Amino acid sequence: MAYIHLDGVSKQYGSVWAVDRADMAIGKQEFVSLLGPSGSGKTTLLRIIAGLERPTQGRVLIDGEDVTELPPHRRGVAMVFQEFLLFPHRTVYENLAFPLRMLKLPKGEIEARVEWAVGILALRGLEKRYPNQLSGGQQQRVALGRGLVGRPKVLLLDEPLANLDRELRQEMEVEIRKHQTDLGIPFIYVTHNQEEALSMSDRIAVVRGGRIEDFASRTAIYDHPRTAFIAQFVGRSNRFTGTALISQGKTALCDHGVRIESAARPDIADGKRIAAYVKNEKIQLKPAAEMPADAANTLTATIRYVLLRGAYAEYVLGWTGGEIIVSRPRSEAAFAQGAEVACFWNEADIDLFPMTEDGR
Amino acid sequence: MRLKPGKAALLGTVAVSYLFLYLPVVHIGLASFARNSNFPYPPKWSLDTMARLFSNSLYQTALANSLVIGICSALLATALAGLATIGLMRHAGRRAPLYLALFIAPLFVAEVLLGISSLIFNGLFLGLRGNMVSAVLANVVHCFSYALLIIATQLYRYDWRLDDAAMVFGASPARTFFEVTLPLIWPGLLGAFIVAFIMAFNNLEISFYLLGATPTLPSAAWGALRYGVKPELYALATCVNLVVLLLLSLMFVLMRTGLVTFGHRPERERSAV
Repeated sequence: MAYIHLDGVSKQYGSVWAVDRADMAIGKQEFVSLLGPSGSGKTTLLRIIAGLERPTQGRVLIDGEDVTELPPHRRGVAMVFQEFLLFPHRTVYENLAFPLRMLKLPKGEIEARVEWAVGILALRGLEKRYPNQLSGGQQQRVALGRGLVGRPKVLLLDEPLANLDRELRQEMEVEIRKHQTDLGIPFIYVTHNQEEALSMSDRIAVVRGGRIEDFASRTAIYDHPRTAFIAQFVGRSNRFTGTALISQGKTALCDHGVRIESAARPDIADGKRIAAYVKNEKIQLKPAAEMPADAANTLTATIRYVLLRGAYAEYVLGWTGGEIIVSRPRSEAAFAQGAEVACFWNEADIDLFPMTEDGR
Repeated sequence: MRLKPGKAALLGTVAVSYLFLYLPVVHIGLASFARNSNFPYPPKWSLDTMARLFSNSLYQTALANSLVIGICSALLATALAGLATIGLMRHAGRRAPLYLALFIAPLFVAEVLLGISSLIFNGLFLGLRGNMVSAVLANVVHCFSYALLIIATQLYRYDWRLDDAAMVFGASPARTFFEVTLPLIWPGLLGAFIVAFIMAFNNLEISFYLLGATPTLPSAAWGALRYGVKPELYALATCVNLVVLLLLSLMFVLMRTGLVTFGHRPERERSAV
């Protein structure tokens, strides 16, 4: 039995459905991300769970209780906001104690729990400071602490790392996942950043245009995207387009003379416009001379630039059809700018989707 | 160091402007502390006029009435304007400009007309005779509009998502208001209260029509004119000016320091330590 249930939740603003029939079941120990571009309705969905918005239709259940009609302060949830929203007239200590005071806990218990939060979030010595005397990372940790002290039934996080710089963000990712695992409460994490979603979540719901496009484990979302949108939005891919050719038990397409051949896809009709996605890191490189030029799933290209990303190198390659990007580990042989290389990939690494009328 | 012509002209203009604004006030101030109050140059210092003012029971009654009108009107106007602003910002949606225009329209009605129309309306339809209650109510009408403008400028900078945060962390709407909203917006409320108080306290026209023979400070001063300008009037004017100046400087200090230490500061002003 799932711990949190969204049952046909929809939210209408004027004539627009910001959330359209969302169904989700989230387990008690799960870390779930709502991943989608801005304006996709993921924040609205989170605010509906918090009780800050009322759904136009549908029900929200937390721990078996229908909370659809309950105001936020009676739901036992907590939230971490993108803008932190610490109370500016209260010290760090008072901000952390706020949810506990609202729970009417005895004074000793409040002190003990704030002390606990200060400890696990490395805020010692800052208790008497006001929020505007803290750095961005410290404010974020106070916001997280305020979310955790009350032992909520679920912690909702709305792009909590969006205002932090990259290095700090990666540190916080580890920290957030650690606290979720230690406390064993569900976290629902809204983000437009696929890296954040992939690094922390158990499962990811990809939200687009108010709809949940897919809700699956992070590996499934990454490795087997169910729609073209997910293939484009999660991970970094190269896209090839052409007309479907079905022959010898394969579904293939031809883009600028390059034949892209995947296992048979009975759902795609012959002659239909299709797009193939191959992730940057799934493409392998060899010197051009070592490769037969006319094989399927192979193309020859020239290296235009090499971007060094630490553990891997990113090659920007020019070919007759335009540009592709390939990421290779640094442990492999490196290629220099201007080199002629052969790019090849496995049949299994191709994601094929029929194209819509607007060419996407 | 020699003054550049441009700078000198600027300073001169400022000086002339301030003289224009404050010479009459300074003159009355000197007159009220001098024995030769009709032409106090040079003043012969004395507290006689003050003593005469404070021994005159008419002025004492008038002061008490004015204080009651000022405080009651200001309290009521501030409370109503606060609620109206919150309603405008949180619940009015697209019609907010219309509501706002209707809320501040009383600013443009002459106070005399406000006084007369309140008197007639109260008498005809409410059976209310001119008295302190109806005087307070009529004063609230125009104080409300000023208070609304002052509170709105303050609340414009308030981040209502802080209320969301408070509610998510278990605070009921009432608790949210007293724990989070009020502590952050009180400088604006106090500013509105002070301005509304000064307006109602100093008001002649509205109060005059609704009170008749009951004296307020402005109406007593106005009445005294018929028998010539007496020294008490100088003293009275100075006292009122002093109180108003004190209140305004209190408000100024509170708005400045209150904003810096208590008020919500937007992102760009936040400094990392």
